[in-house]
Amino acid sequence: MKKISLALAATAVALSLTLAACTSPAPAPSGSAASSAPAMAATLRVWAGSTTPITVDFNPFHVDTALYGTYGPIYEPLFFFNQLSSDAPVPMIGQSYNYSADGKTITITIKPGLKWSDGQALTADDVAFTMGYGPNKTDKMISATATDDTTIVLKYSSPQFTAASQLLGSTMIVPRHVWSKIDNYMKETNDNPVGSGAYVVKTTSDASYTFTANPNYRDPVPITNVQFLGIDSNQSGQDLLSTGQIDWTGMFIANPDSVTGTGAIGTMNQQQDPTVMVTCADASKGCKGDQTDVAVRQALNVAIDRSQLAEKAWVNLVGKANPAFVLLPRDQKWLTDSSLAESPQTANAAQAGQILEAAGYTKDDKGFYAKNGKEISLDLFSPDGWTDYNDAAKLIAEQAGKAGIKITARTVSEAEYWTPVTDGDFQLAMYGLTQSVVADPFSNYDQYFFGKSTAKVGDAPVRGQNYSRYSNAVVNAAVEAAAATDDEATKKAEYAKIQAQIAIDLPYIPVVLNASQAFFNTKNFTGWPTDANLYADPLPYLSVAPAIVLLNLKPVQ
Amino acid sequence: MKFYLRRIAFYVITVWAAVSLNFLLPRMMPGDPAAIMIGKLRRASGGRELSPQVIEDIYALLGADKNTSPWDQYLAYWGRLLHGDLGLSSTRYPYPVVELIGNALPWTLFMVGTATVISFILGIVGGAWVGWRRGTWLDHLVPATALLQSIPYFWLALVLVAVFSVQLGWLPIVGAYDPFEFPSGPEWSWDFFVSALQHAFLPALTIVISSIGGWLLGMRNMMVSTMSEDFVVTAEAKGLRPSRIRDRYAARNAAIPSLAGFSIALAFVVAGSIVTEQVFSYPGIGKLMIQSVQGLDYTLMQGVFLVITLTVLAANFLMDLLYGVIDPRVRSHG
Repeated sequence: MKKISLALAATAVALSLTLAACTSPAPAPSGSAASSAPAMAATLRVWAGSTTPITVDFNPFHVDTALYGTYGPIYEPLFFFNQLSSDAPVPMIGQSYNYSADGKTITITIKPGLKWSDGQALTADDVAFTMGYGPNKTDKMISATATDDTTIVLKYSSPQFTAASQLLGSTMIVPRHVWSKIDNYMKETNDNPVGSGAYVVKTTSDASYTFTANPNYRDPVPITNVQFLGIDSNQSGQDLLSTGQIDWTGMFIANPDSVTGTGAIGTMNQQQDPTVMVTCADASKGCKGDQTDVAVRQALNVAIDRSQLAEKAWVNLVGKANPAFVLLPRDQKWLTDSSLAESPQTANAAQAGQILEAAGYTKDDKGFYAKNGKEISLDLFSPDGWTDYNDAAKLIAEQAGKAGIKITARTVSEAEYWTPVTDGDFQLAMYGLTQSVVADPFSNYDQYFFGKSTAKVGDAPVRGQNYSRYSNAVVNAAVEAAAATDDEATKKAEYAKIQAQIAIDLPYIPVVLNASQAFFNTKNFTGWPTDANLYADPLPYLSVAPAIVLLNLKPVQ
Repeated sequence: MKFYLRRIAFYVITVWAAVSLNFLLPRMMPGDPAAIMIGKLRRASGGRELSPQVIEDIYALLGADKNTSPWDQYLAYWGRLLHGDLGLSSTRYPYPVVELIGNALPWTLFMVGTATVISFILGIVGGAWVGWRRGTWLDHLVPATALLQSIPYFWLALVLVAVFSVQLGWLPIVGAYDPFEFPSGPEWSWDFFVSALQHAFLPALTIVISSIGGWLLGMRNMMVSTMSEDFVVTAEAKGLRPSRIRDRYAARNAAIPSLAGFSIALAFVVAGSIVTEQVFSYPGIGKLMIQSVQGLDYTLMQGVFLVITLTVLAANFLMDLLYGVIDPRVRSHG
């Protein structure tokens, strides 16, 4: 009988959830050299976040469904852009690149004598083919030409200075002799990928997939086998990690000491991505609610107690956010006003009150600020089950209440979350921004603050992810000017304008920088990135970086 | 004969209604799959502008219905269905839904099915016994199993994993088989079968622990009330052996209502057990269901619901027919 009610309840839950849902990324697994026989090749076991059943897909054009490891270990971009440092990009397939003065022509030289994993030569012709293939094609591209075996010239109709990380760092080069024969790249699952990376696919199943060293790779590959597992819950991932069954993963563990205590597991937590309260900011674009008044956003910004949020919602594993949306210390040179280095860490209800009173609000008899007899009343939502966001939202509502700003925190199913956020049908939402992957905050401004990256309420933005509907003439002009220059001083002057505006307008109210914990087995493998040597971010679910990490590891004999 | 014809007609209509509803449901939901997929692609590619080519391709694959009338779509839907084509999953694009369900179903039937049968048998045998010995210390089994049933399933599973898999290391933590030993997936070998059994043990055990109480309680109560029936008194008066009265007279009659419940429970086995499969990373149908719901994968959702609906109907149908045989009263009044 119990079984029936369980099944019925499950069906009901499923039905009720159907309205709005999105998959959340799962944790990432890792491998380990668990072989006791020294003759056996070391296998590193990874949980990068795949869930079961694993459906084989190594198509680099399936940005959403391609399996972890497709980007980097199998297919490589021209250069590796380390998101943790401001060093120059590391050559992979590429050797060097060169922008013309106007930024419209890029000349790339690749390494000579490269081979695909099937033994065929990798030449400039493949790179030129890739740049003009499928989703890599853009309206702005005029031509992609291989002028000799190792030189490619890309021509664009507009300056591409800010697109370097995308063109050179995240466009996976594919072999012409394979992809030119594929009719519909969207339908391709590419079960036996021919790539240029250090690994080729060995076996696949519904529970895991294993890579083995590519014999045609240009450098020695120290870890022979890498097995990626599918696991459905963080708890299982943590259990497998602490029992030594997986070697590498990236996921949130609230008490990391319980895992690292034995000394076999190392950890690294490089906070990068800002968690914010996104506001639907611009009434002229159709946003509704009190948060469209900039004074309300400013008051909220000082009314919340970020140190309390960090402690109670994130067990102090998060970093401090800043209103300039630069990643410190990486982007230090782009921070144009040192007062913007950190958002206020403690609550200041008095200051919030002053801001609101200056804007014509008065406290009513219930202790809430109101204007023209109408109380400020804001709705703040987060996806059900994202417990850190849920807790933070509840705390924010409490803290704002103390400053006289009424916020109602609620949770919604994942599907009911994404649709209103994309369409602008919301007031406040807990939200995560993706930090710029290079040591330059341009993409943050371009993606989230640029007027052309938004749309009026009811439509989803066509480019960018400016869901706040924010559009400020000064910022827009500065983003366009910054995109057209390679001169650091000019760019910095434009960033100064942007940072000054967005720190006042606050379309995104910074909360914290997300924890991003990586865990790895230091007993079976050495060579992991350390705080002193951040050659790559050791999160196995990133693209490209895991390939760099794998090539730097050494199995312990 | 009339009874059977009526039942068959009833089920044909029910199947038609269920399948049609399955067609309608996703169409009544907000957003079309193509728009959802484009949104996901845009986020996954970091807000990069999608080329018009990509958008066109996605509409061609997922939004093909756009220019046809709902009636034509409905006919096409039936046509595809009768060819066994349930469409392509969007969360696991471009995998066909039929393949995903086909891969998950055997695991679910194996683990959840076995657990359900074991739980039923233990519950019925135990219930008959407890009912027979009513008034003795055995009565404590009823609240004891009810207590087990009231433990939140999720918590129970986590505790069992923490003790038996992590602390003691006797049983595996996740999966349906050992992915380290069998990296290429399932194979026909004794070792693989042993591995699958080891992996199914703990999830099945949690299902049995959390479901046995219901069967036990139901059977025990039916047993007690059957034992006060006249025919049991008559059997006792005739001086039949107590074991014969217990097994052939009381238990047999007392089990009839539980059997009906069992057929439904068996049918719902195909729905898998969402929580079990999640906690143990077990590759079953329940997980496909929750993933399709979370990812707004309408085709997969439709496919899973269709399979569940049809199985439940089929089980009901079989039970109806069987009941007609077991209990003639149903036939004449039905």
